[in-house]
Amino acid sequence: MSAVLNEDYYKLLHELQAIDFVLVELNLYLDTHPNDTNAIQQYNHCAEIRHQIAYQYETKYGPLKHFGQSLSGVPWSWNESPWPWQV
Amino acid sequence: MENNQIRYYKPFVGPFDPCPPIRLKSFSTPPQLFIPFQPPNLPQFSPIEALKYGTLWPSLFSPYDSKNTRQEAGD
Repeated sequence: MSAVLNEDYYKLLHELQAIDFVLVELNLYLDTHPNDTNAIQQYNHCAEIRHQIAYQYETKYGPLKHFGQSLSGVPWSWNESPWPWQV
Repeated sequence: MENNQIRYYKPFVGPFDPCPPIRLKSFSTPPQLFIPFQPPNLPQFSPIEALKYGTLWPSLFSPYDSKNTRQEAGD
C-alpha cells in the first residue's frame, strides 16, 4: 500500500463516496419512478463514472473489495491495513 | 440560518406533574411531509454537495438541527 495519507488518496475516496451516494439516491428514486428515462440515463452515466473512479483508485491504492469484485495487484493485499474504518 | 421547518408547541403543565415541566417543545416538518409523490426532474445538488446535505434534491433537504439549539430560537 503506497502512502495512504496523501491528498489524492482522500480526494479519490471522497469522490467515490459522493458518487456512491448519488447512485443510492437515484436507485431509491427509480424504485418508485420506473419510467423516468432521464433518471435512468443519469443512473447509467453515474455508474460509469463510479466504475472509472473505482478503477483509478484501485490501480493506485489496491483493491476496494474482494471475492472477485476487484482486480488484485501483486502481492495479494486486500487484507492489508488500513481497513476502511481505519482510514 | 433560520430553519423554517421547526414548529413549536407548549405542553400542558399541571400542578401535580411528577417531573419539572418542559414548557416549550419543538418538532421538525421536513419537505417530504408535504410532497405526496416526488415529481420528476427536480433540480439536483452536485455529488459532493449531495453527500454533504444528505439528499440529491435541494427541495427535499431538511437541516434537522440538534434540539437544544432550537430551544432559544423558539422562546
